[in-house]
Amino acid sequence: MANTARELILKYGIPSLAVVIIAIQLFYVNTKNLSKWKGGGYGMYTEIHYFSNQIYIPGMSLDSLLKDNSEMKSTLGYLMLMPNKDNLNKAGELILKTTQKDSIHIQIWKPIVNSKDGFYSRVLIDEVHLKATEL
Amino acid sequence: MKYWTDIKDHLKDQISLAGQLLLLILAAYVFMMADENRRWKVPIIFIGLLSYFLLRHKKKHPIIWITFLGLLTVDLYHNYFWLANHHFMLMFIVLSVLIYHYHKRSDILLKNIQILLVIVVLTSVVQKLTSSQFMTGNFYYNMFNHGDLFINFMNFFPESLEIAKSNSKSVIDLQATDPNIGESIVLRDVFPSLSSISYIFAWITVVIELVVAITLLLKPKGLWTHLVFTMMIIGILCTRFETGFMALLAICGVYLCNNLRLRLVYVLIVVGCFTLMITRIGYH
Repeated sequence: MANTARELILKYGIPSLAVVIIAIQLFYVNTKNLSKWKGGGYGMYTEIHYFSNQIYIPGMSLDSLLKDNSEMKSTLGYLMLMPNKDNLNKAGELILKTTQKDSIHIQIWKPIVNSKDGFYSRVLIDEVHLKATEL
Repeated sequence: MKYWTDIKDHLKDQISLAGQLLLLILAAYVFMMADENRRWKVPIIFIGLLSYFLLRHKKKHPIIWITFLGLLTVDLYHNYFWLANHHFMLMFIVLSVLIYHYHKRSDILLKNIQILLVIVVLTSVVQKLTSSQFMTGNFYYNMFNHGDLFINFMNFFPESLEIAKSNSKSVIDLQATDPNIGESIVLRDVFPSLSSISYIFAWITVVIELVVAITLLLKPKGLWTHLVFTMMIIGILCTRFETGFMALLAICGVYLCNNLRLRLVYVLIVVGCFTLMITRIGYH
């Protein structure tokens, strides 16, 4: 009996771990808007890559924010990878802290393509308005 | 004939052969990822190499596999959401080989590899089926029109290549505008009837992957299983140089395949992928 259990664990233990990782990825994709490309769920090449997502901050250049700022790169990177309210708030707070501005409006957009007519446009995923006084 | 006999001798022991190929791909992958999380990797590499050179005949533990697993785990912990999907698969295969050194049961190792491979391919199918962007052909349509698929063959069609470049430039120009204005562009097709081609290509991809998953589950050592599997790997490599992932799939093929000629094809794929990986022509 003990040997059978041991054999079952040895045979199916590691594949079960893979299933757990996939379940975690699906959870994040469906609740946190994680890109299907990442997280160990083998969803690469099923949707346009998250690099094509666009962070838009009216009146502010993204390049100047990212220059020589590794924390900003990481935070905005996570926003591209997992565009959700939490990551928008984190990015907004960091930008307010870095730029010393009073308020910020930050949006995240994703591209959509229609193969029937070749139409390529952008749709808003989410946005936040933050004020420095509210932080 | 003598050469083929020698080759056959090498191909016969699939577990040892696949292990050597796995070490090769692991070394390339770990080397390319070495500058990530250096603070943690330096002691692991140092202690691992020292133990390997000084104690490998005294210790019964597979030091080299433990070291590689340690390095992969560091990246998993620190960069979980940034890692490529094959990083996860690589970890599971290394874990299977590591545990094999203790239980010494080849049937268990092969079962690990088989089920793991079925899960990976089947999940890939489910992810595609549940993606409307993929199943409508819109995803492939976008990739084709940016010149991101069959890149090496596109050079034979200079006009299509020019259209792809022009599409990419239009998208970059669009990205520079305020998205709130609602501006959009129309992509020019790199080939005629691209919409239908993308739709059919999407379905062919799903069907082939599904056939591979089912045959690997039911007949993991079958000749037809591995014919379809090798075709799928070569097909993906023609589409894009996903050499890291394809090398791993081919290593799984070496483990599972009983036919020596097909096992040789897998070896050629792994060595080819390794060459493209270290020369940075392919993706790692």
